[in-house]
Amino acid sequence: MSWVLLAALVVPFVTAAVTLFTGHRSDVAAKGISVGGSALGLVLAWVVALAHLGDAPPLAHVFTSTRTVGPPIELAVYVGPLGAAMLILATTVAFLVQVYSLGYLADDPRYPSYAALVSIFTGAMSVVVSADDLWLLLVGWELMGACSYFLIAHHWELEDARAGAVKAFLITRTADLGLLFAIFVLGDRFGTYRLSTILRVITEVAVPRDGLWLPALLLAVAVIGKSAQVPFHTWLPDAMPGPTPISALIHAATMVAAGVFLVARTYPLFLSSPSTLTFLALVAAVTMFLAAVYAMVTHDLKRVLAWSTVSQLAYMFGGLAAGAWSAAVLHLLAHGAFKALLFLAAGSVVHAIGGATSMDVMGGLRDKVPDTFVTMTIGFAALAGVVPLVGFFSKDAIIHAAWEEARHGRLVWPWVAWLLVVSMVATAALTVAYSLRAWLLVFFGDGPEVVHDSPATMRVPLVVLAVPTALGGLAVTVPGIIGGAPGEHLVHWSTSVLMTLLVVVTATLVLVLYRRRGRAMWGPVVVPHPPIDWVWDRFLVRPVRWLAVLVRAGDRDVIDAYADGAAASARGIGGLLRRTQTGSVQGYLMVVVVGATAIAVAAGLLA
Amino acid sequence: MPLWWPLLVASLLFAIGVYGVLSRRNAVLVLMGVELMLNAVNINFVAFDAQLRDVLHAGQTFALFTIVIAAAEVGLALAIVLLVFRTHGHIEVDELRELADRDDPAELPAPQAASEGVA
Repeated sequence: MSWVLLAALVVPFVTAAVTLFTGHRSDVAAKGISVGGSALGLVLAWVVALAHLGDAPPLAHVFTSTRTVGPPIELAVYVGPLGAAMLILATTVAFLVQVYSLGYLADDPRYPSYAALVSIFTGAMSVVVSADDLWLLLVGWELMGACSYFLIAHHWELEDARAGAVKAFLITRTADLGLLFAIFVLGDRFGTYRLSTILRVITEVAVPRDGLWLPALLLAVAVIGKSAQVPFHTWLPDAMPGPTPISALIHAATMVAAGVFLVARTYPLFLSSPSTLTFLALVAAVTMFLAAVYAMVTHDLKRVLAWSTVSQLAYMFGGLAAGAWSAAVLHLLAHGAFKALLFLAAGSVVHAIGGATSMDVMGGLRDKVPDTFVTMTIGFAALAGVVPLVGFFSKDAIIHAAWEEARHGRLVWPWVAWLLVVSMVATAALTVAYSLRAWLLVFFGDGPEVVHDSPATMRVPLVVLAVPTALGGLAVTVPGIIGGAPGEHLVHWSTSVLMTLLVVVTATLVLVLYRRRGRAMWGPVVVPHPPIDWVWDRFLVRPVRWLAVLVRAGDRDVIDAYADGAAASARGIGGLLRRTQTGSVQGYLMVVVVGATAIAVAAGLLA
Repeated sequence: MPLWWPLLVASLLFAIGVYGVLSRRNAVLVLMGVELMLNAVNINFVAFDAQLRDVLHAGQTFALFTIVIAAAEVGLALAIVLLVFRTHGHIEVDELRELADRDDPAELPAPQAASEGVA
């Protein structure tokens, strides 16, 4: 089985290489290879993952190991229930994205490199979710950052796309330093880089409370950056100029999900450090509300979805901080399904009206793109937490866990847990509001006349994703499938009823506003630029620039001075010597005679 | 005959030759200075050959070699002198400065017409 997993990890990279090298010859070949390779990886990943869901023993295997000065670096894999579920999610969404891209990027001249990068992205995520060695995990982690950079900048003719790509890369890369140093600290502390061993030691040996706060905090910084939480939250919305399928891939299954996955994977480490959990809870509480407010007022459909991703990821972190591991992981998987659906549907809408992403130019699309309308309605309903859909169960479970945490919590500062609960409830209401607003603005009212419905390759993935979005809620009845504690109940009637009431009230309010004031439901609000960008600019970007100027000056005025001086002195001495070359043959001979005589005399005197 | 007689003659000849090479401006006279130096060397060869009573007479053999080489050298040198006269119209050695190192190669004096010297 481990060899099947290795094949599943290698196939995407091979697919990418083949696509890159043969893609320019034939368009059909590039599409066939990338979709076929993606399908092969999907099948292999499913074969591995299905065997290790639920109570099945995890797959742990060390392929090879390298001796180093410190602990050995191993090619080790570990697929437990969580990893298996993530494998399924990542490869499925990636496959659907590949199929969808056939239609979305049908005439794109850069399709081969795009498809290859999507394959690498998928492979990198598979490496992250199945890695057992921390360095292997870091490789996949960084590979995703690089791929996201290239894919966001797919339309590199656009200023926005280039700037967004650079921003995404720099911010995540800065935060990734946390993971690197966490690996150093963990390797130093435990004498191994194998994650399963480290976690077993933490679980079995009584680690003193907060004894491991440093690696936990470093990991928290890394995941906050990767998952776009405050204060690293601005890269995700600015990554929107990338192609829409890429947004689906980044937001649902790979890049940002990797942050939540890492916390869930190393959960014993975080549990041993309540101060880090408090930090995480605080970040989540601030992020979810802030992002939801941004999603309320922005006019760009893709940016609404981007901010909602930030907000929903904060839910997961809040759930993890509150100790609700199963609920958070369930929400991660549910969010993967419905956010992929929403982004792909948004791409279908954008495609239908000819490329604009602003909601101001949309409207009245419900009978022009009927399939997209139905599936996107399901997606928005799941995002808002409408009753039988998947988002409802997972979100309620998280809120309930936060409530329990607030009442008898383990966090260092109990008020953070209360803040988390309040923020979660307020954000739930805001989520309903912005989902409904986007849904109304896109599909109702007056809109463009010239609309061409999307091709079948784009509509089929929507339908495929709508099924788990609609029915995935059944999974809460068996929390053990993702490795949750046995006997854990994820459905709590009191919370469910309250949250449903909240949804109904908020939706009614929004509908009343829509009836009264039309499309400008809460008026035109000027979206302020996130002030955190100013802080980053002042305290990180500019100092680095100054340092660069200083380094350049040092190079030019100090180091180059020596090289230039050597050259100038050689030229000066040469200039002196060339004075002697007068062209007078008799002058030369005179020198020869005088010299020979001098040598002869000197030899005679010395002899 | 004591050895120092021919050695004295040879060194005087060599000194005259060096003086001629270094001080005469006419290229033909410079060549004559070179010949004087070569012949001073020949006198030395022969004198030491006689003094040391060499069985194989290596000194005399070398003197013959030198004479032959000197003849060839003079033939070549006179040909060069002839060419210099054709291109420059004179054979003043100290005027021939074309091979000096200059900052600007354009300062080079243009060679005179070939027809002027040898009509």
